[in-house]
Amino acid sequence: MTKQTTLLAADAACPASRSLWQLGWQRLRRDRLGLAALWVVAAFVLLALAGWLGLAGSHWRDEVAKPNTPPALFKHYAPATVELTAADIDAAQQHHTSAADASAATGMSAEDDPLAADMAAAQATAAQSAAASPAVATHADSLVCGSDSRGRDVLQKVIQGTATSLLVGLSGALLAMLIGTLLGALSGYFGRRVDDLLMWFYSVFTSVPDMLLLLAFSAVMSRGIDTVIMVMALTSWTGTYRLMRAEFMKHKGREYVQAADAIGASHRSRMFRHILPNVTHLLLVQFSILTVALIKYEAILSFLGFGVGVTQTSWGAMLAEAPAELLQGYWWQMAAVTLFMSLLVTAFSMLTDSLRDALDPKVK
Amino acid sequence: MTQATPLLSVRDLRVNFRLENGEHFQALKGISFDIAANCTVALVGESGSGKSVTAMAIMRLLPDHHTAIAPGSDILFEGRNLLAADRRSLRALRGREIAMIFQDPMSSLNPVFTVGDQIIETLMLHTGMRRKAARQRAIALLQEVGLPEPGRKVDAYPHQLSGGQQQRVMIAMAIACEPKLLIADEPTTALDVTIQQQILQLLAQLQKKHGMAVLFITHDLGLVGEFADEVIVMRHGEIREHGPLQQVFSQPQDAYTKALLNCRPRLDSRPARLAVIDDFLQDRPYQVPPQRTRGYAPGDDIVLDVQGLCKSFESREGLFGKHVFHAVKDVSFQLARGKTLGIVGESGSGKTTVGLTLMRLHQASAGRALFNGQDILAMSPREFHACKRRIQIIFQNPYASLNPRFTVEEILLEPMALHGIGHDHAERKQLAAALLERVGLPRRALQKYPHEFSGGQRQRIAIARCLTMKPNVLICDESVSALDVSVQAQVLNLLQDLQDECGLSYLFISHDLSVVKHISDQVMVMQQGQVVEQANADTLYANPQHPYTRQLLSAIPQGWPHQEG
Amino acid sequence: MFAYILRRLWQMVPTLFGVMLLLFILFHWVGGDPSYILAGKSFSAETLANIRHQLGLDQSLPAQFLIFARQVLTLDFGISWSTQQPVAEILASRIGPSLTLALPMLLVSLLLSVIIAAIVAYVRGSLTDRIVTLICTLAMSVSALVYIIAGQYWLAHKLGWFPILGWSDSLATNLWRYIPLPLLLGLVVSLAPDIRFYRSCFIEEMGHDYVRTARAKGLSERAIMLKHVMRNALIPVVTSLMMSLPYLFLGALLLERFFGIPGMGNEVLNAVDRSDFPVIKAITIYVALATMLFNLLADIVYKLIDPRVQLK
Repeated sequence: MTKQTTLLAADAACPASRSLWQLGWQRLRRDRLGLAALWVVAAFVLLALAGWLGLAGSHWRDEVAKPNTPPALFKHYAPATVELTAADIDAAQQHHTSAADASAATGMSAEDDPLAADMAAAQATAAQSAAASPAVATHADSLVCGSDSRGRDVLQKVIQGTATSLLVGLSGALLAMLIGTLLGALSGYFGRRVDDLLMWFYSVFTSVPDMLLLLAFSAVMSRGIDTVIMVMALTSWTGTYRLMRAEFMKHKGREYVQAADAIGASHRSRMFRHILPNVTHLLLVQFSILTVALIKYEAILSFLGFGVGVTQTSWGAMLAEAPAELLQGYWWQMAAVTLFMSLLVTAFSMLTDSLRDALDPKVK
Repeated sequence: MTQATPLLSVRDLRVNFRLENGEHFQALKGISFDIAANCTVALVGESGSGKSVTAMAIMRLLPDHHTAIAPGSDILFEGRNLLAADRRSLRALRGREIAMIFQDPMSSLNPVFTVGDQIIETLMLHTGMRRKAARQRAIALLQEVGLPEPGRKVDAYPHQLSGGQQQRVMIAMAIACEPKLLIADEPTTALDVTIQQQILQLLAQLQKKHGMAVLFITHDLGLVGEFADEVIVMRHGEIREHGPLQQVFSQPQDAYTKALLNCRPRLDSRPARLAVIDDFLQDRPYQVPPQRTRGYAPGDDIVLDVQGLCKSFESREGLFGKHVFHAVKDVSFQLARGKTLGIVGESGSGKTTVGLTLMRLHQASAGRALFNGQDILAMSPREFHACKRRIQIIFQNPYASLNPRFTVEEILLEPMALHGIGHDHAERKQLAAALLERVGLPRRALQKYPHEFSGGQRQRIAIARCLTMKPNVLICDESVSALDVSVQAQVLNLLQDLQDECGLSYLFISHDLSVVKHISDQVMVMQQGQVVEQANADTLYANPQHPYTRQLLSAIPQGWPHQEG
Repeated sequence: MFAYILRRLWQMVPTLFGVMLLLFILFHWVGGDPSYILAGKSFSAETLANIRHQLGLDQSLPAQFLIFARQVLTLDFGISWSTQQPVAEILASRIGPSLTLALPMLLVSLLLSVIIAAIVAYVRGSLTDRIVTLICTLAMSVSALVYIIAGQYWLAHKLGWFPILGWSDSLATNLWRYIPLPLLLGLVVSLAPDIRFYRSCFIEEMGHDYVRTARAKGLSERAIMLKHVMRNALIPVVTSLMMSLPYLFLGALLLERFFGIPGMGNEVLNAVDRSDFPVIKAITIYVALATMLFNLLADIVYKLIDPRVQLK
C-alpha cells in the first residue's frame, strides 16, 4: 500500500507528459538561433510558394527598365561603361566561353547544337512577349535590385529563381529520401539476400562520383525542371540509404523491436510502425542537409547549361550571366543571387544543427 | 595515527549540475568524510546517489561547463586544497599521487595504442624514466597484476585482451607510480562473477603490498565485506551512514542501510517476500517473513519440454570459408506449471540464446520444444502466431525494451489488438488500466511516455505488456539485472506474486546466483553453450556436483562473513 | 592479407558489371538513337543506316551490350564522335593537367583543414571556436560558382595578380603561372566544409572514456589532443580523404572550365555538351574503377591506423 501511495505522489508531482517530439520542439524553441533560422527558411518557402503560384516574380521575363540599370541604392556608383550594346555583351560572352574551351579541338557549329532550336524558340517567345507588352514604353529608371542585360527586373528574376531552386532542392531531396529510406529499410531490416542485392545496387551508384553521374544522366535526358529533379533524386539517394540501412540494422536488434516480434507484430508493423518513428528525426536532419546540397548542385548544373530549360530561370541560370556582366562592372545580378542563396543556405545549415541538437535521442 | 592528518579529507562538498533547461540539480548536498593513509574506504550507493560524482570531484575531472562546485567545499589531499590547485599541480598529482580505475576497461583504454605504450606513457610522464627502462617496468607491473605472458602482452592492443585482462592493465597503469590513493569506480561491474572475484582479490593484495589508501566505489554492498575497512553509504547526494565495516554490517544505524542489507536475496535464506526500502522507513520494526520452500515435485504438470536444443551462428571468413559458432549445444529441460526454472551462466554461456530461440527470435538449428504437446520450433509462422501469446519475454534493459515513441496505452493495447483480446478499444483500455494497477502503477500512467518512468517502473510496464496476453510461460532474460538492489527486490516480489496468482511458469535467466536461488525451483548451470548441471535449487546450491558450479558458487561475494553471526 | 585483396578484387566484378549495366541503360535505352546526333543536319536514310551499322545499333540489345562489354574489358572505347580521335588518346592527354591542379589542392587543403580543425577543437567553446565555426557556416553558404566568378574577376581581371586563364606545356610554368589562382579558389571552396567536418570528428573523439583515463593519468590537454585524440580522429579523416581521391581523376570540373585547364573535368563537360557518348562512357568506367581501387586502398590504410580493423 505504501508503495502505491509513493508512486501516486511521484505521479502528482510530475508535469503533463510530453512525447519525444514535443520535447524536441521545446528544445528547439529554447534555441533562439535555431528558431530564427526556422523562420527564415519558412519565409523562403512562402516566397517560393508565391513564385509557383504566380503571385510574385511572374513578370520576370518583361523588360521593365533599361538594360543594366543599377540598383536604386547604388544609382550613383554605376560603372562608366553602362552604354554597351547587346552585341558587345554577346561578344564578351562569346570570347569568354571560347577561351574556356581553348583546349577543345573543334567545337560544334551552331546548326549542330541540339539546343539551338530550343534557344531560338525561347528567344522568339521572349521577343513576342516583349513586342506584345507595351511596357517597353514605360521603362522604370530605378529598381531595387537593378536590371539585367535585357532590362529585366533582377528582383523578379531572383524571386522566380528562388522558386525554381527551392522546388528542385525540396522535391529532389524528398524523392531521394523516399528511395533511400525504402531501400535502406528493406536492406537493413531483412539483411541477407535482400541486403546483398541492394548493397550491390548501392555500390554501383557510389562507385561513380555524384557530379559525373549527374552529368551522365543529363547528357541523355532532355532539359527541364522535372528532369533535373529526377536526376538529382536518382543520384543522391545513396546517403540516405546508407544511413537508414545502418539505423534499421541497429534498431532491428533493439529490445523494443524484439518485444514487438514477441507479441506477434508483423514485419511491416515492426518496420514502419515501430522503427521508422524512431529514426524520423535523423531523416529530418538528412533532409535539410540534402536540400542544401541539391540547391548547390542545381546552381552548378544550370550554370553549365545542363539544368533547367532555357525558358525558366534559376539561381544557377542567373549566375551563368554573371561572368560576362561582371567584366563590364554589372555586379548586381550576381550579388542578388548570392545574397538570396547564402541567406537560405545559412539558415538551412543552422536549422540542421539546431534540429540535430534538439532531436538528439541521447538526451532522453 | 590516522587522527593526525588524514590522507584525504572531503569537507562539505556540494556539486551542482546545470541541466539543459537551465535548472540546477544538486548532485552532492554537502558531504564530508576522511580517508586515512593505508586504509580502504568503500563508498556504497545506488544509481543517482552521487558516488561517482564524488570520485570525479576528487580527481577534478568533472566537466567545467555544466558542473559547479559550491564555494565552501574543500577537498584536502595531504593538507593541500585540490579545489584551489592550479592545472599544472593537478596534473602532477593525477596518476602520481592519486590514480583512478574505471568501470568499463574496454572504453577506458585508448584502442589504437598498445597497452604497454599506455603504461609507459604514465611512467615517463611522472618518473622521468627513459623509454627502455619504462618498458621493463611496464612488463614487471603487468606481471604483478597477474597478466599472463606479460612480455608478449605488453605489445597487445586493448581489444586483443579479455575484459578481466583489460581491467588488470588499468590497474597496472594506476599503480605504476605508486600512488598514495587509488580510486576504483565500480571496477568489477562489467565483469563476470569469477573474474570479479579475482580482480577484488588483486586489489586487496596490492593495497596491502603497496600500502595505498583505496576509495572503492560500488553499488553492491556484498562486495564491500571482502576487504574494506570503512563503509560510507550514500543516497541522493547525502551520506546516510559512515562507520567501520563491522559496525555498519552488524549494527546499522540508518534505516536505508538496514534496508540495503536486507533487500538483496541471500544464499542462506529464502523469505516468502524480499524486504523493500519502505519496510524500513516505516515506524514499526521490520518483521522477517516466513521462509519459502521451493523445488519440483514428482507430480508437476510439464508446460514446456525442451529436447536437444541447438543453435549455431555462421559467419563468412576468408575467400570461401565459413566459421560456425555453436552458441547452444544440446540443451534439454522441462518447465513445470507454476514453477520457475533458473538458468545461470557467465557471459558467452548461451543462456540468453536459449531464451531467444524458444521465442523464435532466433531460428533453432536443431531440437524440439514441446509446448502443451506441440513442437513450437517446427510450426509454420502462421501456426506459431497463435502460440506467441502463450510464451512471452521480459528483457534486461528497461530503457530499450519499450518503444520510446509510444504512450503506455499504445504499448499495452498493441498486443491485445494483435491477438484479438477484448472486444473493442474501450474494453482493452479498461483491461490495460487494471493491469497497470496490478503491477503497481497508477491508471494515469496510460497517457505517459516511457521516458517519464524510472527503470523499475518501466520493467513493470514491460511485465504488464506480457500480462495483457495472459501467457503461460514468461521468459525473464536478466530482467532484474539492470535495476538497483532496492528496486530489484520490488520487481522480484511482483514476479513472485504474479506466479502465485496466475500460475505462471518462469524461465529465469540471470548471471546473479543469489537472485536465481531466491526465485527458482530448479536451476540449470550453463557454460559455453552446454548444460553442466541441472537440479532442484536447494540441492544444487547445497551440494554442487560439477567443478564449474562450485567455482561459480565460491565466487559469489559473501557480504560480510560474520553478518548476523 | 593477400587472400583479402583477392577477395575484394573478386567482389569488384559484380559492381563493375552494375556500372556497365547502368551506363548501357542510360546511353542505349534512355538516350535514344544517337545516330541522329552523329549524322547532324544533313542526314539521309542511307547515312543513318550506315552510322547505325557502324555503331552496332542495328543489332539486338544483348548483342549491343556484348560490344560494350568488350570495349570495357579491353579498355578500348573507340573514337570520339566529335573529334574523331581515339578516346584512349584523348583521356591520356587530359589526366596530366587534372592531376597538376587536383593533387596540390588536395594536399594543401588536407593539411590546412586538419591543423585548423585541431586547433579549433582544442579551444572548443571559446570565442575563437565560435568565430571560426560561424565563418565556416557563412562561407559554406556561398556557391562555389560565386567564389570562382568573383575571384577570377577581382584577382585576375581587376588586380592583374594572376593570369586570367591559360595553360602551357611545361609543368613548371603551369605550377608557377596558371595553377596558383585556381588552387587558391579551390581551397576557399573546400576549406570551410572540411574544417567543420574534421572539427566534429575531433570533438566526438574527445568525449570518449579513454580521454578521461588520459586526464586521470595527469597528461596535459595538449598531449591528449596531439597523441590520443589525433590518432583516433585520423580514422574518419582518412575515410573522407579516400572518398575524395577519385575526384583527382575527375579533376576540379568548375575550376578547369573557368581557367581553361585542359583536364578531365573540362573534357567531361565538353563531351556532355556535344553528346560525345564514347568519351562519357570511358571516363565513367575509368573513374568507377579508380573509386573501387581506392576503396580497397582505404581499407588497407585503416588496418595501419586502427589495430582493431581485421581484414577478412
